[in-house]
Amino acid sequence: MVTALELAESVLKRLEGRFDDVAVLVRQRDCVMVKLWNTEPSVTQSWIDAKVSVLVSRNGRVFSTELSVGDPDAVDNALRNVGEILTKLEPSEIYAPLPELAEFKPLEGLVDQNVLKAMEEPGKYVEEMIDAALKEGAERVAGTLVFGRMAKALATNKGFRGMEEGTEVEAYLRAFKGEFSGHWAHGSRVLDVNALREVGRRAGMYATITNSKAEFTPGKYDVILSPLVVGNLIDTIGWMASAMAVMMGFSMFMKVKPGDKVGSEAVTIIDAPRDTELAKSTAFDDEGVPTKDKPIIKNGVLVNILHNTGTAKKMGTESTGNAGWLFPTPWNLHVAPGNVKSEEELISELRNGVIITNNWYTRLQNYVEGIFSTVSRDAALLVKNGEIVGHLGRIRIADRFANLLSNWELATKETHKIRWWEVETPTKAPYALIRQVNLTKPPI
Amino acid sequence: MTSLDEGLLQWAVDKALEVGASYAEARYQRDVTSGVILRNARTVGVGSEVREGIGVRVIVNGSLGFAATNTLTREGVERAVMAAITRARATASLRKTPIEFSDERVGRASYEVAVKRSLGDLTAETLTELGKRLTETINSSVKEVKVPAVMFQAGTRLQEKLVINSDGAVIRSVVPRVTAFINFVLAHPQKGTLQRTVEKEASGGAELIDSWRLEDVVSEEVSNLEKVFLKGVEPPKEPIDVVVGSEVVGLLVHESAGHPMEADRILGREAAQAGESFVKPGMIGKYRIGTKYATVIEDPTIPGSNGYYLFDDEGVPARPRYLYKEGIIYEPLHNRHTAKLMGTSSNAAARAMDYASEPIIRMSNTYLKPGDMSFEELIEDIKLGVFIKSYMEWNIDDMRWNQRYVGLEAYMIRNGELAEPIRNPVLEITTKGFYSNIVGVDKHLRFYPGTCGKGEPPQGVPVWFGGPDVRLAKIRLGVIA
Repeated sequence: MVTALELAESVLKRLEGRFDDVAVLVRQRDCVMVKLWNTEPSVTQSWIDAKVSVLVSRNGRVFSTELSVGDPDAVDNALRNVGEILTKLEPSEIYAPLPELAEFKPLEGLVDQNVLKAMEEPGKYVEEMIDAALKEGAERVAGTLVFGRMAKALATNKGFRGMEEGTEVEAYLRAFKGEFSGHWAHGSRVLDVNALREVGRRAGMYATITNSKAEFTPGKYDVILSPLVVGNLIDTIGWMASAMAVMMGFSMFMKVKPGDKVGSEAVTIIDAPRDTELAKSTAFDDEGVPTKDKPIIKNGVLVNILHNTGTAKKMGTESTGNAGWLFPTPWNLHVAPGNVKSEEELISELRNGVIITNNWYTRLQNYVEGIFSTVSRDAALLVKNGEIVGHLGRIRIADRFANLLSNWELATKETHKIRWWEVETPTKAPYALIRQVNLTKPPI
Repeated sequence: MTSLDEGLLQWAVDKALEVGASYAEARYQRDVTSGVILRNARTVGVGSEVREGIGVRVIVNGSLGFAATNTLTREGVERAVMAAITRARATASLRKTPIEFSDERVGRASYEVAVKRSLGDLTAETLTELGKRLTETINSSVKEVKVPAVMFQAGTRLQEKLVINSDGAVIRSVVPRVTAFINFVLAHPQKGTLQRTVEKEASGGAELIDSWRLEDVVSEEVSNLEKVFLKGVEPPKEPIDVVVGSEVVGLLVHESAGHPMEADRILGREAAQAGESFVKPGMIGKYRIGTKYATVIEDPTIPGSNGYYLFDDEGVPARPRYLYKEGIIYEPLHNRHTAKLMGTSSNAAARAMDYASEPIIRMSNTYLKPGDMSFEELIEDIKLGVFIKSYMEWNIDDMRWNQRYVGLEAYMIRNGELAEPIRNPVLEITTKGFYSNIVGVDKHLRFYPGTCGKGEPPQGVPVWFGGPDVRLAKIRLGVIA
């Protein structure tokens, strides 16, 4: 089997000379997912495939394509008419020549041999997660466990050649007891059995944390958000930090500029492509620009919008190493921890309010204004006098991102590695305490 | 018709049976998309995508396995078959009961959506021109506000499938689709911004683009929304009659009738991510969720629809399904697995996004049954009410009970007529709260496109949702905080 880089070079060789810019990006994967339902596997899925993405340009006219093929001839065939198509296009508003060759510092330790072994025997790790949840008193669980090996290679006609191989682990579990449930998630490049057990333990813990229910009245509450909820909301903010989101009108950062205050001093959000513990760590972006860790927001101040070379040229700045050929994106996100020693201490600080341990379905009425709502799932808990008094059921945060960032007050010292359906960007996040958050529930 | 011969798929099925599968299915799927993206009438991106490969699904030792490959040779397919078999076998000991499928009549069929004009007519050049015209239309439709951002995206999608399984199904299909997406932001120094997305998608050929009359649509939208933006007032705080426009109704029935009536949710298979359902097996055919107007139909066979298919990916013939019938929870969406578990037959809801996705229970085209009144008749005796025509923000909880829709274009109703515009009315309501408060529906059935997300890993499939305009009695609306 050819390597990802051999395939990229082979495709590049057929195309260079015909265009001003050529970039070939190959992604190969071999991964397995065990999906759980009622405490047993519902399906075991495997993927063994490759994607070849090609970017070509001539006179500022740009065309990109993504092909799920592993054969250079097929790519060549698919791009047969591109030269003619390019002549009929207008130059792209965000065209910039591919960057000149820059050295990048490879990342070490992206492959964990234990993950490769686990791919052939995922069952025993599934059992570890299940057992940990059941030990907490859960009655049943559902979830997924993914082990995978990915390869990424980039070759450009500016001489860039790069290849990375890495492993991935993604696990999430939902534990049920009666009408209550708890959920936890984990994402990493390495197999850490304790982390998988912790997924089960925390899911079970939240499912069984109390048997009581509490009454809810819509209004403003001081709120603790779990790392899952922080991860979900920061994922949206990270996406809006893309220069393309800003240009297209899909960003709360459209009305501000780097240097402007957008949150409290406690808020720091970092794009962390060089964190090798997280699954999207990479040494080079899709244009061959070396990546670097950098803040998006630092101590409440917007510092960086995320760029590729095209958006950077349009906005008169430099690429931040976040290409995406069209849409720059964050790689991994860090939400800076605070000084609170434990979750218990954070609840004491909260004193009276609500803990939201999981959420989904974050949607925006208006990206520019950052008006959004999101629905809690699993444990949403009322706290009175520093004690958890009962489940509130499914409630909704309906507020503005600007308010959340401004009212962000405290966070735990410990962060958690989170990745699941609702936290697409691998994220390290703490528990956070945010004051005066608007919470709602239907009147009928 | 499809780009792949049956032979390789049949070989995969035979191979899986030979090495121990009790059921095997091989699906070739090729999805080709192409399109353009413009920002403020200037090209930003032009591109295409081809996803082509084979997905193999097996039952072995009572365990379900799925594997996908895009190496379309015997060696590549054999590797996928063996991965599906061995990895499913490796978790079989964790299963307490074997997975089985319902017996169904499957057979050989072939169908293709006929087009009046080829998708190839929608070249990048043509679509770029359209995007420029639409942006110009938007800019010339405003009077006082600025338009800082217009995004236009349009393209074509061609989906070819060939499904073969060990029960004898051989189903070929070709479904072309056309899609258009416009997002614009209106800005005013004192009022802030207002944002709207208009989306069109359907199965068919290049003729669809003209049939949508996009310039008229955006011109009217922009003109109306500028008024809402500049003059909109808060909705009344007291309970009032609310007329929910078909755009909101469509999404609402998708979320609160379609999803909770997916049998895999009812049984808990999607519990970890997509969630479960307020519907329990014992409620089917018995539980009253709404008034006599609450009839929600799910129909993959609507010609020209976005969720169109005639056979599902398990080879079962498609037909309309009544999810709610005259207020009663009636018929869930089934695949062959959930049908077996619930002692019934599949109603052909198994669909896969692409070759790399397992077929799971999906909606197709979901709508609330219309009535025979005109819109004017629907509102004529409302002294004080609100009409919510469109929305932007929405969500619903994982049991499909507690939901929220935030109106965008909305108006007061005074003495039976539409009156002044209102801004951001919030309809936050339970599923029963909605269906049991319907007191009238008009005759105007309209459909809207969407990409429905579900599954692990996530699968987005094209759907339509629709309905008439619906009148609710005595609803308390909220406002944006």
